[in-house]
Amino acid sequence: MSAPPIAHKDPKMPPPIALPEGADWAGALGVFSPGVAETLLVAARTLYPHDGLPERVYRRVVAHLDRMAAASPLAAQGFAEFVDLLDGAFPLPFIELSEGFRVQVLKRVEASAPFRLVQRSTVRFLYDDIEVWEAFGYEGAAVHLGGYVNRGFDDLDWLPEPPAPAV
Amino acid sequence: MARYELDDDGVVVIIGSGAGGGTLANELAQRGVEVVLLEAGKHLTAEDFVNDEWGGYEMLSWLDKRTASGSWRVAKDHPTAPSWHCKVVGGTSVHWSACCYRFIEDDFRARTVYGDIPGTTLIDWPLTLAEIEPWYDRAEAKMGVTGTNGLPPLPPNNNYKVMRAGAAALGLTVSTGRHAINSIPYDGRPATIQDGFTITGDKVGSRWSTLNVEIPRGLATGKLELRPESRAVRIEHDAAGKASAVVYVDAAGVTHRQKARAVVLAGNCVETPRLLLHSASARFPNGLANGWGHVGRHYLRHIVQTVWSLFDKPVNMHRGELMAGLVTDYVRHDPSRGFAGGYLIELNSMGLPTTAAFLDPGWWGRDFVSVIEQYRNMAGIFMTGEDMPQADNRVTLTDELDAYGVPVANIHYDDHPNDLKMRSHGYKSLTAIHKAAGAKRSIEAPSYPASHNLGSCRMAQRAEDGVVDGYGRAFEVPNLFIADGSNFASGGAANPTLTIVALAMRQAEFMAEQMAAGAL
Repeated sequence: MSAPPIAHKDPKMPPPIALPEGADWAGALGVFSPGVAETLLVAARTLYPHDGLPERVYRRVVAHLDRMAAASPLAAQGFAEFVDLLDGAFPLPFIELSEGFRVQVLKRVEASAPFRLVQRSTVRFLYDDIEVWEAFGYEGAAVHLGGYVNRGFDDLDWLPEPPAPAV
Repeated sequence: MARYELDDDGVVVIIGSGAGGGTLANELAQRGVEVVLLEAGKHLTAEDFVNDEWGGYEMLSWLDKRTASGSWRVAKDHPTAPSWHCKVVGGTSVHWSACCYRFIEDDFRARTVYGDIPGTTLIDWPLTLAEIEPWYDRAEAKMGVTGTNGLPPLPPNNNYKVMRAGAAALGLTVSTGRHAINSIPYDGRPATIQDGFTITGDKVGSRWSTLNVEIPRGLATGKLELRPESRAVRIEHDAAGKASAVVYVDAAGVTHRQKARAVVLAGNCVETPRLLLHSASARFPNGLANGWGHVGRHYLRHIVQTVWSLFDKPVNMHRGELMAGLVTDYVRHDPSRGFAGGYLIELNSMGLPTTAAFLDPGWWGRDFVSVIEQYRNMAGIFMTGEDMPQADNRVTLTDELDAYGVPVANIHYDDHPNDLKMRSHGYKSLTAIHKAAGAKRSIEAPSYPASHNLGSCRMAQRAEDGVVDGYGRAFEVPNLFIADGSNFASGGAANPTLTIVALAMRQAEFMAEQMAAGAL
């Protein structure tokens, strides 16, 4: 039996986006073609290469970008331009490149607005994913569990204990 | 709650319900003054708030577009959101971390103490520490500030233990500091349960805000009417040059005109000058109260920055109140450091979502992930210090109109050499504390969008140096007041809210006296 999860989302926040487990996951998206989705997935993984995180975490990031594109024509255009920039930078499609070349391509377009959109949005959604919180030790929402007052807000024991504060 | 007619010209109209406007509204109502409080945001309650960094940010923040220019890093990192404050009943007091430090005497005499620093527009305040001290006392009692009025300080949390170990090893003066967060039950509000989500609205209510303290008490007097989702777009004046009405748009998009006996702006440091500039007329062609050209100028945002450090063992900094730590050794002006002004060192903690976003906003790749993967072992330490006023660091109107037909504001900010010297000194101090506690690696994070927004409609002794006098009354329009941080004459080092509240309380007494005397 595995340990109980440490990370908690506020009960009022929406659950994680549900995507198919298989290779056809991108078929569940609203706007992106499978090719665009795979390119954004590989880009997200190259930008933030956490080797220990499963593929589904990055797929959920792409699903959030897909929702952004559905809500905003400007964002949709930015993602399309980003994919064009990446695929036009090398004699091979971006997703076929080695990691070193992928990093080179991303560095080359780093100053562009489409890169900025993708990079910022990837940070926004990747590190807001509860599976990522669990992996890196962020416990998240606390009020519905009584806060941290009895759950370790002062349990650090590898430094000297501070003296009790005086009034 | 009171209800006033739109053509009732006996009411004081306050624009903005945060620490300044919300406090002033209650203080006036307690004195029997009839008040209409306009707030652009919604009236949310503790039930609505979430323990979620992005969820809270999107729920509470003022997200209307702005632009940014100048050499500050914020213009590059956050070009359409350079300033961070709230749009909700209670304003930014719904979001703040509740640090409550008084300004020191020298803060009120910046020009005299620092001398003539080229490129700055330093002035002394039109009031002294001695004049504001009784109001600090009252503000601390009102807000339930720990370490005052017999209230115990917040208990040490994990992040504090790191700061405390490092600071003590360096011989610095360190404590958990003072906060308007209950360490024990006080004034009908419970003690903190250390949930760590003060900045997304505080579902528990252990922290003072105008939403949970001032506004309900003001409403209970029967003198205060709160109008949420009421977006002020213009201030009108009469033939005598006195403010006469506020034009605002309600949630349904309907425009109203509320007549006024006096008008108070408290919409934070960007919206207040934006409204004044937009309220230009034939009589006031450069904007209301802008006869000397200072509206929008001398914008300040404090030298605010964080160092995040990695340790060998878990810290779990997200558990507990976010900023419960203080080092005071650098707060005084000390020319031997090579720059003017001082800074406070405080604790800082963020959850994983915003730590990742603000650690270094353009950073990506394997080095970044090697740092953020150690979030569990990360500690945060922060500083807030005085930045130098400069005439061209300013809020201006652009050619782009928002949905209400009001020009979008631009914030221009160039770092002064003094600012950069303090930043460098501060990063060294912050890093040294973490290193002394055993840090393996420290990251110097840049400023996030400015949350200590100050100075853009400053008070001054002489009309030619500012916009308002020491009571926040406009030199040019005698029944127009400013009650937010834009009225600061200079920035000081400390987090500004306690001073904003103290000034608003003092202003309320002044306004009530003036009204009683028939002078307002």
